[in-house]
Amino acid sequence: MASVKVQCVSKWFERRDGESLHVLQNIDLEAPEKTITAIVGASGCGKSTLLNIVAGLIEPDRGCLFLNGVKASEFKDWRSMTYMFQEDRLLPWRTAAQNVAFGLEAAGVGRAERKERVAETLELVGLSQFADVFPHELSGGMRSRVALARSLVTRPTLLLMDEPFSKLDPTIREQMHAEVLRIAELMSMTILFVTHDVEEAVVLASRVVVLNPRPGRVRETRTIDLPYPRDRTSAEVQQEARSLRESL
Amino acid sequence: MPVPAATPLVEKRPTDGPKTSHTQGSREKRLRLLSMRVLLLLLLLVIWQVASLGTAPFVLPSPGRVFDAWWSLVVTAGFWRDFGITFWRVLMGFALAAAIGVPLGVLLGANEKLGEFFDPVLTVVNTVSSSIWAIFALIWFGLSDWTTIFVVFMTAMPLILTNVWQGTRTVNADFVELAQTFRMSRLQVMLKIYLPTILPPFFAGARLAFGFGARVSLVAETLGASSGIGYRLRQAADLVQTDQVFAWTLTLVALMIAIESLVLKPLESRLFAWKKKAGGQ
Ligand SMILES: Nc1ncnc2c1ncn2[C@@H]1O[C@H](COP(=O)(O)OP(=O)(O)OP(=O)(O)O)[C@@H](O)[C@H]1O
Ligand SMILES: [Mg+2]
Repeated sequence: MASVKVQCVSKWFERRDGESLHVLQNIDLEAPEKTITAIVGASGCGKSTLLNIVAGLIEPDRGCLFLNGVKASEFKDWRSMTYMFQEDRLLPWRTAAQNVAFGLEAAGVGRAERKERVAETLELVGLSQFADVFPHELSGGMRSRVALARSLVTRPTLLLMDEPFSKLDPTIREQMHAEVLRIAELMSMTILFVTHDVEEAVVLASRVVVLNPRPGRVRETRTIDLPYPRDRTSAEVQQEARSLRESL
Repeated sequence: MPVPAATPLVEKRPTDGPKTSHTQGSREKRLRLLSMRVLLLLLLLVIWQVASLGTAPFVLPSPGRVFDAWWSLVVTAGFWRDFGITFWRVLMGFALAAAIGVPLGVLLGANEKLGEFFDPVLTVVNTVSSSIWAIFALIWFGLSDWTTIFVVFMTAMPLILTNVWQGTRTVNADFVELAQTFRMSRLQVMLKIYLPTILPPFFAGARLAFGFGARVSLVAETLGASSGIGYRLRQAADLVQTDQVFAWTLTLVALMIAIESLVLKPLESRLFAWKKKAGGQ
């Protein structure tokens, strides 16, 4: 099905003053099939850059990327992957429903099926009532839920998410956590996501990758061996979160 | 595999209450605007009437006289022929300008080197006055439809091209990247990202271009045509039929207002309903 393997990846960015900025150094990371992996780390340590590399948007300067065990250059099934960016990137000239339909249009899904699946997914994120509303009329949290719906509607087997829930209020965030866990299970998804919230990482992920900044490198990879569903307020989760926070 | 929602979150839509009162408010506002416009029109007519009392009709004919002249023009078939031919020439020049300006603008916008290379040409074209194009047109095309069409084209094309060119530069790279993650084809990216981004600046440019085009068409027609509104205007002026000049002018003004309020405004609010209005509301 779907898995990600990042092997010894390094990345430099050319700065405008001509100097090069070492952003990622020898990153090794694995997101095995049907697991949820979280990446945590300080701001600017290269988390988004890492996801961009996994999504095939930028080339690493060194190292390899394997998707489903295949080298990225030979990988064909890119449509089975979706990427929810750090910014919502909603097209302002499209309504919420039309934004969600975007990925389906690319895949050539017919109009009738598109409509049905968009409605289904909007309901999933609790925005059925807002299908015909333009992005500028939505709140920040609603916008990121539309973006989430857009990445789910194509039913990917591999989902990349960059701080997907950071703009949601605590209640809705927990509801979204439950939904994502449910869908991941139901559709056998592999998820790789970035978060600033260590508790969120512990509640959702079975593996947490901690990055150190300047240059970004893997400090440690933890396995979280708690049974799902995990309660954010439980002692075990709090315990894991505390020790993770200390390692940051 | 369908994904049934287990716990749909409930989110209430803003109720309809304030909405209805909003439309009521806007109707009131429209009514007030309309009555203000009518008042303004009446005021201008009164000033015109008063001013015409003390002057000779060939300098400033009275509103009544102009209306009589207009009425006797409208009933003739020639009026509609001239009206139609001018309209056709403007539309033709404008359509050609759009047909050439849009692809060229996209091309120059998509290819930075090409754009840099041709940049000065645009500046030069923009500095040449429409009257000079009219003179050139007269030399090249003589007394034909093409003289007017060419002048309209040379006025409108650079405007449309510039706006489309600038529009392609505002395409959001993030959106193109988004399309890439969904593996959209180049054509799809063009249609779904570039086109909607270019549409507003194109529309603004086209609107300007049509207005300018319509105005310069008259200049072209007075110089190089034997039919059309511009030609009739010059004829009337030569014969010192000032009331006829006024009648033609008012016809033109009415036409431009009609196009603006019946075609452009509704089209614009339909196309750009997604835009956030500056200053709220
Ligand atoms: N296109 C680029 N060109 C040059 N430098 C870049 C580019 N993109 C990112 N950087 C730099 O690379 C570093 C890592 O950026 P990145 O966006 O990956 O951080 P991040 O871990 O996602 O941070 P945050 O948590 O704030 O989102 C930063 O120092 C940033 O300035
Ligand atoms: Mg980031």
